[in-house]
Amino acid sequence: MEVGQMQRRLAEYTKSLFMEGILDAQFLQLQQLQDESNPDFVVEVVTLFFDDSEKLLNDIARALDQQCVDFKKIDAHVHQLKGSSSSVGAQRVKNACVAFRNFCEEQNAEGSLRCLQQVKQEYNLVKNKLETLFRLEQQIVAAGGSVPMIESSF
Amino acid sequence: MTPAIEGMAPAVESSEGSNKMSKGYQYPSLKKKLRGLVVDNAELCRIVEKGIMGLCGVETQAVETGEAAVELIASGATFDLIVIDRFLPSMTGPQTARKMREMGVESKIIGLFASYFEGDEEEFVAAGVDDFKEKPLSPNWLVPILRELDN
Repeated sequence: MEVGQMQRRLAEYTKSLFMEGILDAQFLQLQQLQDESNPDFVVEVVTLFFDDSEKLLNDIARALDQQCVDFKKIDAHVHQLKGSSSSVGAQRVKNACVAFRNFCEEQNAEGSLRCLQQVKQEYNLVKNKLETLFRLEQQIVAAGGSVPMIESSF
Repeated sequence: MTPAIEGMAPAVESSEGSNKMSKGYQYPSLKKKLRGLVVDNAELCRIVEKGIMGLCGVETQAVETGEAAVELIASGATFDLIVIDRFLPSMTGPQTARKMREMGVESKIIGLFASYFEGDEEEFVAAGVDDFKEKPLSPNWLVPILRELDN
């Protein structure tokens, strides 16, 4: 596959992530922060997001597994996950966190477990999609091409 | 008609007026050299917030705690815009804002929150912040504030 084709494929793929609501405009800000002095900014920030999220999801799962569930602690974890997902533009993860908070407030363990599954699902989805995105970018660069800047209107 | 991306300011085609088309985004062209401070304990958020303030033309420092922010100001640093997260490890966001006002800081202070908790806004406002915004820090609400500061 030649570079032009790869670039078109990347553009289409990226566009689909926005259309499906997996990413929102905040992600575009991350891309804007990437330049010659910061060539890996997006990958670095997203990797930080993955590490943070996995830790938080594990902490939440552990907290829900306790005899006496500490909903305040869980709420604090969810709050943090909402903050970081909103900062990178992981829209569906953020929205799943919003739903989660209601169950924490109600101290509903069963509902919270369901929500956790939902958040995990959305997290795995965005992780998968972003890893694919980065792979597509790498392929273009490896073939000697440059990664095109995303356009503001599709 | 192509759908706009939710939450994004529309791109301006011309480079007239005070808007600059920088890589296709509506970042402001500020007249003044504005200085900003971000106070956020979450590393990821701190990096992104500092970056976006920079994209919008604000020379920004970022610290992890309220104490660090207060120390900076005590050492003589001044800022045009201060953004403080609600949840900080020891000195809370509102406590930090209150301390700054007590120290005589007259800069614009924005209280930032990831999730809304009852009473947070009141507490922040009582502490002396000028505004209370939900994360993420976005040019959508940041740019109008900067334009105001720039006049």
